[in-house]
Amino acid sequence: MRLQPVPSDFEARCNATFDAVMWALARPGVMRDLPQAGLAQVVEALIDRECAVHCPDEALAMLARRTGAELVAPEAADHVFAETVTPEMPDRLACGSDLHPEDGATLVAGAVFGAGQRVCLTGPGVDGEVIVIIGGLPGDFWQRRARAMRYPMGFEMLLVDGARLIGVPRSTVVEVL
Amino acid sequence: MTLQTLTKPWEPMSYGFLDGSAKREIRRKMIKAIAVPGCQMPYASREVPMARGWGTGGLQVSLTLVNPAMRVKVIDQGADDSVNAASIRRFIARVAGTPTTMDTLEADLIQSRHRIPEEVLREDQVLVLQVPNPEPLRPVQPNMSIARQMHADADYGRMWLQLYEQIVRSGRVMQGASYPSLVHGRHVMTPSPIPRWDVPKLHMAKHLTILSAGREKRIFAVPPFTRVEPLVFSDVPYKVEDHAGLTCHRSGTRGFFMNEIPQDDGSSVFEVSDSEWGVKAIRRRDGEEVALGETWYKNGKMPS
Repeated sequence: MRLQPVPSDFEARCNATFDAVMWALARPGVMRDLPQAGLAQVVEALIDRECAVHCPDEALAMLARRTGAELVAPEAADHVFAETVTPEMPDRLACGSDLHPEDGATLVAGAVFGAGQRVCLTGPGVDGEVIVIIGGLPGDFWQRRARAMRYPMGFEMLLVDGARLIGVPRSTVVEVL
Repeated sequence: MTLQTLTKPWEPMSYGFLDGSAKREIRRKMIKAIAVPGCQMPYASREVPMARGWGTGGLQVSLTLVNPAMRVKVIDQGADDSVNAASIRRFIARVAGTPTTMDTLEADLIQSRHRIPEEVLREDQVLVLQVPNPEPLRPVQPNMSIARQMHADADYGRMWLQLYEQIVRSGRVMQGASYPSLVHGRHVMTPSPIPRWDVPKLHMAKHLTILSAGREKRIFAVPPFTRVEPLVFSDVPYKVEDHAGLTCHRSGTRGFFMNEIPQDDGSSVFEVSDSEWGVKAIRRRDGEEVALGETWYKNGKMPS
């Protein structure tokens, strides 16, 4: 008899979360569904003791700490989990270097879709252009993001509203309409 | 915190062979690879029960992405039935319980060695390419630290020089496979040793392509709708292999990439390289109802 391998609930959830994350970044601006609401599932799918995490939220920080990750300041973090983005955050995140663009951070943040600023996204993964309405970010966030990054240096953004996800990688040019 | 919360229930084997930390590391690196198209991201490249250089990079990406609902197709030089492809397909099915297929239209995940299928890939499909040598600059700069600096500076002058020298020496660009291509106008990548025929299929494609080199421990990606431009001079246009006029001697299909099969009398016959496309063409010829997908090349020409 050969046993059919079956993923555990944890494994299945991490797999589905990453599937959404991967496609969100491959198709910026296209909304994806996460298996459940919140940022915790992204911690589970990505974070372990090789990571340096910044996480203002106490419960999420506890979860990240339990995976073995180090809790650090935003400048030193490779992953930042924040329910609300603070205005100075784009300037504090690691952007990597031209030699090692992979050292740029991944920002996983809460946002509100369908209310707020109308932004137009262009770049790899976008068929022409895509217009999305994203709220819950500081007023001049997109301008600050553009100033902080010089491609290929930069950081990736995974914006989470409930169980919905929009990805904005560093390669995406964001224009506020 | 108790000991109970720090452990997981016992499992006979990690689902999909790779353990959790290996998958998380590949996930993190895939995120960065997708965010910077064509830029090589280093990763740990864990051991898999296969020798490095036989598709371990592609296999690790596939094992990270699979779930029991994902239908997997594996090809080797276009063929589903070669030893390498059959072994990898069987391994993935055994450790992840995934359904397998040979039909490009049915597949969710396609792991490939050195070919892109002839049928157009959809926007929900992932193509994983196995890469033996991820560094396009290696022929002109063997020192990988200096090559990394050249990528950082977008210093690709020597690549152009190499192409120029080929044209001067031989009258044409001699690069057959792994044709260096500029991705998103910034990073030059090798598209893995796919023939020149296949490189235009990556340009503004709908599917996601992930290229992974297990032995060299590098992963890079081409997201959908991303510019992939082969390096050419404006007065020497890019040329694909001259296969447009060839006919497959088994299936009769015409205008696709062919394998040349030498004959005893010195002549040669041709066989379509995408084996499943040939199989479907034969089944249709024999009166079976087979769904043939739209192809990238139409009448041997890539529509521009």
